[in-house]
Amino acid sequence: MMDKKAKGRRSDRPPVDLAAQLKLQRDSFVSTFFKKGAEFTEELVAENDRLRGAMADLERENASLRTQLASDEAIRDLLRKIEELEREKQALLSHVHEAEAYSTQFTSRHAQVEEELANLANLHVASYHLHSTMRLPLVVRHLRELLQQLVGARAYAIYVADDARGELVAIAAEGRDVVQLTAIPYGAGETHDDAQAAVERAFVTGIAHVEEGPIHDDRVSPAACLPMTIDDRAVGVIAIYALLPQKGAFVAVDFELFKMLGRHAGSALVGAELFAAADGRIPGVGVFQGLSTSNFPKSAPAA
Amino acid sequence: MSAEYTCLVVEDSPMMRQLLVFALSRVKNLRVTEADDGVDGLRKLAGNNYDIILTDINMPIMDGLKLVKRVRTDPVHKDTPIVVITTEGSDEDRQRAIALGANAYITKPIQAPQVIAKVKELLKITT
Repeated sequence: MMDKKAKGRRSDRPPVDLAAQLKLQRDSFVSTFFKKGAEFTEELVAENDRLRGAMADLERENASLRTQLASDEAIRDLLRKIEELEREKQALLSHVHEAEAYSTQFTSRHAQVEEELANLANLHVASYHLHSTMRLPLVVRHLRELLQQLVGARAYAIYVADDARGELVAIAAEGRDVVQLTAIPYGAGETHDDAQAAVERAFVTGIAHVEEGPIHDDRVSPAACLPMTIDDRAVGVIAIYALLPQKGAFVAVDFELFKMLGRHAGSALVGAELFAAADGRIPGVGVFQGLSTSNFPKSAPAA
Repeated sequence: MSAEYTCLVVEDSPMMRQLLVFALSRVKNLRVTEADDGVDGLRKLAGNNYDIILTDINMPIMDGLKLVKRVRTDPVHKDTPIVVITTEGSDEDRQRAIALGANAYITKPIQAPQVIAKVKELLKITT
């Protein structure tokens, strides 16, 4: 039974050559497998190396970009700084211009003040000397000096009114012969030449006439006619005919000097004359005793 | 401490003298001495050392031009700046004064700022 069974049954075992063949196939497979594995590993290593290189490149590029970015930021900072400095510079320049303008203004103002001060000094010195004496010759001398040296008059005459004759008589002159300066009748309607008419008009009206602008030497009528008044009453006239060559016209301070002369020259001359007439005697104290503030004329009420 | 300068003003007219003294008072540290005429000026110059002299031309006793001439022969003041101040405004007068040794020439009527500027210039005062 057993043999029958064994005879009828096919063996599961491969034949020997098949086993060898399989073994061969297996070896070949294993060999190929390892070979492919090695190749794959090499490829992986190569890829890894390539990727590492690419990463390094990217890192370098990144670093470069960061540097550039930082550099750009630094430039932007510098530009901002430059803008700030530019603004500061403009502000400083503006301050400098303001300071310069202020300095110019100050210098100009200082010059004006100095000029005003000099003009005031002229007025002070002129009035001081005019009233520094009661001797008539000295008063006339001071008046002449004032006209020549302060005003710069080259030709002038000082007329004083002779009430008894109704004439203006020249008591002093420069650049004109005082003897040849005829007396000028006033208020009688007599005809005069232009020069005399100007003098008479200033005396009668009490209004000064002063030529503004250049004064030419060839003029006939006076360049200035200044009535000398005491309490608004004219007592004489100063006539200026010509100025020194270096002085072509009257200047601001001259007009102030003329105002001062109009108010002070008359009283200085008349006071000196009265003092001389009184032989230099000072009035007794009795003359002054009747005076008190209550007797002074009251000032006009404010409008 | 700032230096002090001395100035001699020779002028016969008290009015002009006072005006010049006033003008010069505007120059800092300037001490002014006054003289009535050329002779008085020479008297004041003797034994004193002045830094600058201002003189009128037309004066009694000794005029300004004679004074300039004398000052220029004085070893002490031969180099002292001299400013001539006068009513004469012609170029001829100016040339004459300069030829005699004057350093500057100012015509009347004087302007105080002009006098101050000239004195400062000759004394080399910058303020």
